[in-house]
Amino acid sequence: MTQQELQHLYWRVGFGINPTNFNSLPKNRQQIVDAIFDNSKSISPLKIDLSFMHGVTVKDLKENPKFAQELRVASRKKLANLNYAWLNQLVDAKELLREKMTLFWANHFVCKDNHVVFAQKFNNTLRTHALGDFKTFVKSISKEAAMLKYLNGKQNKKNQPNENFARELMELFTLGEGQYSEKDIKESARAFTGYNHDFDGNFRFKMKVHDQGEKTFFGKTGNFSGDDIIDIILEDKQCATYISDKIYRYFVNPKPNKKHIEAMANVFYKDYNIENLMRFVLLSDWFYDDENVGAKIKSPIEYLIGMVKIVPVKFGREKDLLKIQKLLGQTLLNPPNVAGWKGDKAWIDANTIMVRLKLPSVMLNNAVISSGENDELRKKFFKKNKGKLPIKVTVDWNTFSENYKNINPENLQDYILQGNSNKGTADFLKTLSKTSKQEYCVQLMSLPEYQMC
Amino acid sequence: MDRRKFIKNSALASSLFFVPNFVKAFESVTAKQLGYKRLVIVQLAGGNDGLNTIIPHNNDLYYNARPQLAITKGIIKLNDDLGFHPSLSPLRSLFDNGELSIINNVGYPNPVRSHFRSMDIWQTASSSNEYLQSGWLGRYLDKHGDKPYNALEMDEQLSLAMKGEHFNGIATNDYKVLYNTAKDPYFKKVLNHYNDAHLSEHNLGYLYQTMIEAESSASYIFENTNVKSSQESYPQNGFAKQLKSIAQFINSGLDTKVFYTSLGGFDTHAGQNNKQTKLLSQYAESVLAFVKDLKRNNTFEDTLIFTFSEFGRRVKQNAANGTDHGAANNVFVIGENLKKAGFYNDLASLSDLDGNGDLKYDVDFRSVYATILSNWLNVSAKGIIPSKQKTLNFI
Repeated sequence: MTQQELQHLYWRVGFGINPTNFNSLPKNRQQIVDAIFDNSKSISPLKIDLSFMHGVTVKDLKENPKFAQELRVASRKKLANLNYAWLNQLVDAKELLREKMTLFWANHFVCKDNHVVFAQKFNNTLRTHALGDFKTFVKSISKEAAMLKYLNGKQNKKNQPNENFARELMELFTLGEGQYSEKDIKESARAFTGYNHDFDGNFRFKMKVHDQGEKTFFGKTGNFSGDDIIDIILEDKQCATYISDKIYRYFVNPKPNKKHIEAMANVFYKDYNIENLMRFVLLSDWFYDDENVGAKIKSPIEYLIGMVKIVPVKFGREKDLLKIQKLLGQTLLNPPNVAGWKGDKAWIDANTIMVRLKLPSVMLNNAVISSGENDELRKKFFKKNKGKLPIKVTVDWNTFSENYKNINPENLQDYILQGNSNKGTADFLKTLSKTSKQEYCVQLMSLPEYQMC
Repeated sequence: MDRRKFIKNSALASSLFFVPNFVKAFESVTAKQLGYKRLVIVQLAGGNDGLNTIIPHNNDLYYNARPQLAITKGIIKLNDDLGFHPSLSPLRSLFDNGELSIINNVGYPNPVRSHFRSMDIWQTASSSNEYLQSGWLGRYLDKHGDKPYNALEMDEQLSLAMKGEHFNGIATNDYKVLYNTAKDPYFKKVLNHYNDAHLSEHNLGYLYQTMIEAESSASYIFENTNVKSSQESYPQNGFAKQLKSIAQFINSGLDTKVFYTSLGGFDTHAGQNNKQTKLLSQYAESVLAFVKDLKRNNTFEDTLIFTFSEFGRRVKQNAANGTDHGAANNVFVIGENLKKAGFYNDLASLSDLDGNGDLKYDVDFRSVYATILSNWLNVSAKGIIPSKQKTLNFI
């Protein structure tokens, strides 16, 4: 594989790759892809300290509203820890692809819960099934406490059906808009009645409020359960196509290619095995086509983790990371709504582009981007103002130097940037003095080109 | 072609060589005239308790539902049924002048009681079972704006309301910081070298275009804002600061149609009275200073101020001397020449509540938006407000 192909592959299954790692990789595509799947066989669930909930019972909460309120506040604080733990996992985990897919599924099965126990459980369910059987995955999601709360599944009862989950199950999770009738929604909602969860977030089926009557759904009639409904939905090839399209736009190119998506759907429809689908994508020749390299606008998380993977940093305050996510427009565990983040061009507006262009220098270089004009003076000025910077970080340039020691500064752009640069910008880069690899790295990260992967 | 024309054309052509590429690209979009009418949105975040804001002071049901929480002292009675919370006294003069219209019972079918979701619904003008990824003001500017500074939000990040399908407004709580960031010499150099006529056709082009617009908007705002244009003294709080900046922008004649501000903290589940008293004072005092400022500069007549919250609160108080999330609520429209000043409609019945014990809506918030679009901004609501809504007659 060429250096460009390798970087492309690693940007899609992870957050890029440092040149020192090139040599340790096997030589051909099949072996490299196999190794990626091997590394993702294991599952490292997120486990933050949730001892504040130990021994608490439903009774405690009912009898003591003040205590209940305190727990809610504590839970919300813990969500920040969970957010932090997830970010660290994205930086450190060896299960690159599993983690990248977890991130993908989190914006597919979109859910938000302020109850940190449920939120962590939901997140780990995404991780567990990320490369598994899609059918089992959807069924597990339908029984998650966080989801039962988020889309009102627990309010869905025989006498008072709530259609929220049934609608989103088809519209967002499996088939896409317009692939079903309002009647299908009503009938399938009845099949999910009685779904509930216990205090610890385990699934509980309440037969008493379950509608055991006959339902007619997608032309079939029977006393269907929720699982039956999911089976029937997945019989429709449209589901395989819908998921393939979404995976293509996330992992290959935001501009869909019908032919390739159809080929993916054919593979996926056979057994709904996510790993097989991903293997097919990563081994296809078209995956490595020039038009796909650097075609994606990085999500804020891809942008941030990618940067930290090149130049490791330690954040002085956890809350700075929350602030950065907020300014960039993507806070993990806090999606805008059940449709998730729109992605692609929607990441970028006049504000977020300025934050993105400025953040590397703020984080790594006291807010200075060398430009050849009064650089020394500006450096002195900014150094004095270091304490006033909005974020506190310790930068580990040594690791960067080690990882990039064999790279000639003249070629650094080929490793930091993905895809083609604008011609004028490429010419401009040639004129820069590259006496410091660090300074040049910051300059490269402060370009629109750096937003692409 | 005569000689004169030839010289004129070639002079124009040669002068273009000296204009940096990015300016050319930016200016290739012809500027549209947006007109001078302006809209200022005030979002009371958290769900303001409308019943203790506009108080049904003659209604036993109100006092019975709120034994500890009902306002009993200092109500500013506006008619036989309704009155202001004491903190709203600064707005009394606007009410008396016919510059304030209060629309009661504004909401939507199947109300959602989650802050997040209900705020989304208000900002996107969707139905409660519909998820839109663009905001109503963003869609208005998709059609009728072209520069990010046509819509300014006084915050660090842009609300969904201000994001269109193609158009995005600009958010800044300090336009000087925005300017200083954008004019970084490195960015200038990058843009001066940039060459691509097909800016927005691919993703990289879109990034450059947005960067150019950010730079250009930051300069536009910085260079055209006259700080001295606001002489009025404002209260000392963050919300007043937002309004003061807006007054400077309006009085300086910035080509901005929509301004967005937010005042948070209204989620009063416990100990409501102290909190709400403080917040409503901040709101009313700041708005009064803002209106005075605009009046002094003769810009009030072209400005409409719209205040809303994502939901009202439950009629019955809770055990913690607070209120829980409710449904329909009142909205305020402030401006000159209102068609129907004072109370637009009566408060909904306190005995005929919905299943949760909340007020039922009778005015759809989207019909308020549609009215603002057609009667104030003079554009059709079609394609901006997704559902068909009737126009009301408050402006």
